[in-house]
Amino acid sequence: MRTFSEVYTALRRKNRGQYGLLAGCCFFSVLLITSYACMMRSPTILTVLPEGGDSRKQVMMVFVLAVIGCAVFTTYAAGLFFRQKSRETGVFLALGASRHQLRNELVRELAVLSLSACAAGAILGAPLAWGIWQCFRLLLVDSEEMPLAFDPQAYLLALLFSAYVVIMLFLLAARFIRRTNIIDIVQESHKSEPIHAVPRWYGPVGIVLALCGALLGYLTPSFFVRVLHWYAPGWVDAVFYLPTLLGLYMVLLHSVVNGWRRHKNRYKTIISDAMMKFQGRQTVRNMLVMALLIGGAYFASFYAPMLGSSMAHSYDTRPIDFAYHWRADQDIPERDEVQRLADEAAVEITAWAQQPAAVLGVDGTYSIETETGFGTTYTTAYAALLNGATFFSESAYNALTGQNINILPGTCANVLDDEGGSSYLSGGDVTHLTNMTTGKTLDVTPAEPLCYSLLLGCYVLDDADYAIIAAGLDHIYREEYVFFNVADAENSYAFAKALFYEIVDRSGPEVEVGDYYDDVSAAIAAQKGEPYDFAPENAAALGLDTIDYADRDSSAFRLYWKYMPQFRVLDKNDFITTMAVFLMLFVFIALVCFAAVIVIAFTRCMTIALTSARVYDDLRHLGAPNAYLFCAVRGQVSRVFVVPALTGTGLIWAFYMIMLYFNGIPYGFTGSELQGLATCAAVVTAISALLYLVYRLTRRSVCHALHIHT
Amino acid sequence: MLSVQNLHKSYQVGKTTYEVLKGVSLQVGEGEFVAVMGPSGSGKTTLLNCISCYIPADNGSITLGGEEIARLDEDELARVRNRKLGFVFQDFLLLDGLTVRDNILLPRIIAGQSDAAMEADADSLCDVFGITAIRDKYPAEISGGEKQRTAVARALINRPLLILADEPTGNLDSKSSRAVIDSFAQARHALGATIFMVTHDSFAASFCDRVIILRDGVVWRTLSKGEQERSAFQDTLLDAIREMGKE
Repeated sequence: MRTFSEVYTALRRKNRGQYGLLAGCCFFSVLLITSYACMMRSPTILTVLPEGGDSRKQVMMVFVLAVIGCAVFTTYAAGLFFRQKSRETGVFLALGASRHQLRNELVRELAVLSLSACAAGAILGAPLAWGIWQCFRLLLVDSEEMPLAFDPQAYLLALLFSAYVVIMLFLLAARFIRRTNIIDIVQESHKSEPIHAVPRWYGPVGIVLALCGALLGYLTPSFFVRVLHWYAPGWVDAVFYLPTLLGLYMVLLHSVVNGWRRHKNRYKTIISDAMMKFQGRQTVRNMLVMALLIGGAYFASFYAPMLGSSMAHSYDTRPIDFAYHWRADQDIPERDEVQRLADEAAVEITAWAQQPAAVLGVDGTYSIETETGFGTTYTTAYAALLNGATFFSESAYNALTGQNINILPGTCANVLDDEGGSSYLSGGDVTHLTNMTTGKTLDVTPAEPLCYSLLLGCYVLDDADYAIIAAGLDHIYREEYVFFNVADAENSYAFAKALFYEIVDRSGPEVEVGDYYDDVSAAIAAQKGEPYDFAPENAAALGLDTIDYADRDSSAFRLYWKYMPQFRVLDKNDFITTMAVFLMLFVFIALVCFAAVIVIAFTRCMTIALTSARVYDDLRHLGAPNAYLFCAVRGQVSRVFVVPALTGTGLIWAFYMIMLYFNGIPYGFTGSELQGLATCAAVVTAISALLYLVYRLTRRSVCHALHIHT
Repeated sequence: MLSVQNLHKSYQVGKTTYEVLKGVSLQVGEGEFVAVMGPSGSGKTTLLNCISCYIPADNGSITLGGEEIARLDEDELARVRNRKLGFVFQDFLLLDGLTVRDNILLPRIIAGQSDAAMEADADSLCDVFGITAIRDKYPAEISGGEKQRTAVARALINRPLLILADEPTGNLDSKSSRAVIDSFAQARHALGATIFMVTHDSFAASFCDRVIILRDGVVWRTLSKGEQERSAFQDTLLDAIREMGKE
């Protein structure tokens, strides 16, 4: 060995564990972020996630969490690396090495380590995402929409994160080299990271703060919009979640330093308590990251069960097996043709109801938005003719639904869902109706709303009023509604699919529109000589899903076609394939987040083990039996796993409850939401069991590293 | 060789200032073996850290071989540490990833003076300190005494003006302590080294030519061995320590 570089190489070889840990953490972080970014920016995903929609926002939110988690994780790993390296650096300085010499060597090895780890992570990120996705396709579900495509722009995000990792490493290295006190540098690796006394009130106050933050963060945007008429910028809304973060940190601090159980004999856990306390600062930060990632992972995990339960509930409680409607100018199969298709499929039609409906212009208020430098404000204005809505006569409504309602002349009832909710989707009360063909108008007063999910958002008029206002309507403003049942609904899938395809095949290009399209609004725009934003040719520019008969099995078509039939057996059987991309995306996100949690927890536990090795040796010299040492290890490792798991799960559970309770008016939980929560509880149980398994494996590894028998 | 004049050093802990060295002055001549003793908190290690410029002094001057080292910049200090000073630490501070021989060579490698002769120098130091048999082993594989002898050899590889030793026997049993002290004596006699050692150990100090006793940050007394036997000098040291305790 002749040169300083050779000395560095020899030390690197000897300390390859330290280098491996740092390189592994960088690689793993970049790998996760790249695969997540590839998935998030994939055209496959973007095609099905509506722009500005909740799903896309949720994906982005968990991505931000994952980025924060991975950033904190790599920064921690880098800090640990420099701490471990401080002893040899101190020796070099003490023996007369110049900082210039050290900087050269450190920069060279950090450059190789960080660039190769980041490059490997970035290169393998896309194949990892692709591999997982292919596994989903192979093992879980596959559909026409599932083939995965990548957008090279995703690599920009990977590049940005890699740049963060590299810059962070070099900044820490620069700070490390700049330190002047050699004694401090030499002793750095022996230093603990103690947390000073934490008052016991941190625990309960932390819980209250976390819950208040979740409540505040969720409700404040609605308050801004409804009361202040202000769409605040995203970061303003995000600020209100900060108490949650603070609360979470306080809860974790309290858990690490004080613990929640008041032992009668505090000496029972004195070793694990003391060791946790003296490595507390980094442990708490790691736990915070883990808790947030567990929260994000569960948030993603809950997507499939919540959606599945909600859809299953809606299919099961649907009173009609087959429901479809069409614009009166379309040549859509009616009773004879449907009967013929049913006969061919050996399906027995048991009840048939077909009734007309009218699309009328209605009054209402609309928003006039003003972009400001600080979000968007809006005012509302009234228009006597705002948009269109579907109207039934009371007898048509009774015939379709089997209900027996009586609407008083001069009144108009809005239809809500079966539980009397979803009023925000129903259109609300109207008072002024317009026949778009004749120009005739009718003033009505709102009546008590009706409940029938299949006709959510429609209106019902007194028969006489309906006859007056609907008279002379052009065919494009008339619709036909058909509801029918079959004898053996479970075995009618082939018939349902054939009928669905027949309906699509016979629908003309004039109705190849999304459910956002409104004939009345289109006519109003045409009268004013203005372009109609929601016309098929303009919809894509607004980020809306466009409808194409050629993609009749796509999720966009099934979810958003204005005249999409509601066939229970078709919806039920095709639910998984229709929603495959949505469901698998969130499963993927959960997988990525949980993988990150497991790696962080494992790394942290092994670090604790290594830094506590001397304490365990001393305990052994003092005569501590193996069982005692095992209990001490269990006390440490279990805390690293259990505390973030409990806080993360508890937090997301509370947040979900808040979200479901306040989602929709009236406030409360619907049957499907409760059913979904029960499924989510099963998911939590299954994942907790998995985490417990990882905890056991980690505990075994830690014991092995400390030569403690399990 | 080494001259320390009116050295002051204080630490700030919170709002309280602790003055550790309150004007220490001392001289160490060429080829001398000098120890600094004193109770805990008397400023022994702080004095050593100031002399080695590990920590900056508040006031005073430190001259080594006629060069004022307290005012040197970073690069010059590194050069002084490498060429003019040798260090022996209580916990050895050997690098675990390097063999005994490579550890000894480290100051020479840092200086960029790697030539065939350096390996011969290292081997000859191994011979002097009786560690030839373990020169290819790693620190984890050798005893505490062997580690400290390795550290002494490392301190001498660049033939420094002065060896600074901080509690070199603090972590060793009596047999290993004796071996380390013998290695210092050998370094002095065989290589003409000048040694400045901080210690708690009156036995180790009794091998020195002179012992400077610090108390509360000032030089309380300086005792010279003169013609005394080692054991008599140790008794003198112990008497002085007892006397200091009574005051």
